[in-house]
Amino acid sequence: MADGTPNFPLRLVDGRRLERRYRDVLLPGGILCDHRGQARVLPRYFYEVESWEQARETNLAPNFTVSEFIHTDVREAPPLRVFPRYIPCATALLAVALEQFREAVGTYVYIGANGGYCSPRHAGTGGASPHCWGTAANIYRIGDTYLDTHESIAKYAEIARSLLPTVWTRPLGPEMAKTDDHLHLDLGYVISVPREAPGETYNVKLAGDPL
Amino acid sequence: MASRFPVQDVPPVPSLDRTDELRSRFAELEEKSKARAIGIAIDDLETGAQFHYHADRWFHAASTIKLAILLGVYGAIHRGELLPQSRVHVRNRFLSAYDGSPYRVAVDRDANSAVHREIGRTLRVSELAEHMIASSSNLATNLLLDLVGLDVLQRTLDEFGIEGIDLRRGVEDELAFEHGISNRVTANGLVSLLRLIGEGRAFNATLSQEMLEALHAQQFKSGIPAGLPPEAKVAHKTGDISTIAHDAGLVYLPDRKPYALAVLTEWEPSTQGRSTTIAAASYLAYAALIGDRD
Repeated sequence: MADGTPNFPLRLVDGRRLERRYRDVLLPGGILCDHRGQARVLPRYFYEVESWEQARETNLAPNFTVSEFIHTDVREAPPLRVFPRYIPCATALLAVALEQFREAVGTYVYIGANGGYCSPRHAGTGGASPHCWGTAANIYRIGDTYLDTHESIAKYAEIARSLLPTVWTRPLGPEMAKTDDHLHLDLGYVISVPREAPGETYNVKLAGDPL
Repeated sequence: MASRFPVQDVPPVPSLDRTDELRSRFAELEEKSKARAIGIAIDDLETGAQFHYHADRWFHAASTIKLAILLGVYGAIHRGELLPQSRVHVRNRFLSAYDGSPYRVAVDRDANSAVHREIGRTLRVSELAEHMIASSSNLATNLLLDLVGLDVLQRTLDEFGIEGIDLRRGVEDELAFEHGISNRVTANGLVSLLRLIGEGRAFNATLSQEMLEALHAQQFKSGIPAGLPPEAKVAHKTGDISTIAHDAGLVYLPDRKPYALAVLTEWEPSTQGRSTTIAAASYLAYAALIGDRD
């Protein structure tokens, strides 16, 4: 567009202004602790997805549509099992990274169910998983290769790390917090605030600013 | 009337009320078949008549445990925790009941590869239930068991007062098997469960009917159905591993309520004639209830 505003069809929403039932499961701007007890601030701004058709027709990158990041199952919180759905704005950044990854591997990259954005109230989400930031992907298949062996996972994890220097890949293994049936990669606790988002209100007392 | 296949030149079968004579006939079948053990339970929903032959003996459940999982899944639907159309992530990774270590269901040991082809995607609860029963998918079974939870499934059985079904682990959990942790059933236990469904008392008539439809879709018909006349319809579940061959179901004949039948058999590995024996037991049960005169 002439004024530089992105030509993106999904409506940007402030999670704090959503209905209570959505706020209770998205926890916009809330806090989650990671497995080391470190507090992480959750995203506040989301894109609203009106329908599965819209999710399938809306690209976040040339080869990744919104639908691939919201394919969850019965473990997702009930309000988010029906439309409208919401994805953190940073999901678009993940899609760009995955597009680069796809170019490098030269074939289709499949994100598993529950392997894109999962809300903090998703039953499979333990603590501050980057899936709650929309910045993590569980890839179960690349081309015709199912990532269910250490060799195949390690091979593609290495490609991801060489291509995307700051990406984190989950260690291999059968134990908890490791992976042996998919490649997990994430960009960390990235929050994206598009320019058209309303500005944050700031209150020194409320923020507890030590200065 | 029924053909006497698979038992040729069979003498007249005593009626169900001539219990001792009928027991002798099953004992004769057990001996001739060279089965290690046979357990039979019959419960006629038309007349209330019952028959038991080693019906409280515990057997390895094999895939008949899927009847209990089906009941538990519909319990979760009844409580509103699941919908038949709820989506479930198809993932081949389960935790052993022995020590929590992960294991997978090997596709070449599973009777159904269709569910394996959906790995990474989702299937509906109703689709998984259908795969679990009709083609005995082990992967679908473990996904449903994981979803509802072992303790919840066993509690469902307890709430109905069903004894004789001991649900302890998922299928293909080899480590648990090696350490003596296995699902077990008795013929009486399975017939109790089937009676609930057959009488429409498994939560309510609608859900019972949905379970019946899943059981009517059974694809393996060499057991109970093979001993019955063509007009018989059977809603059933088979179970088959190296030393076990079972079949348990509700037999529907025209103009009468069904009867529940469980035929449980245990064998030396690679013994022949397992299905034939179940079919013969099915015929005996049929003839004892309905009569075998042409």
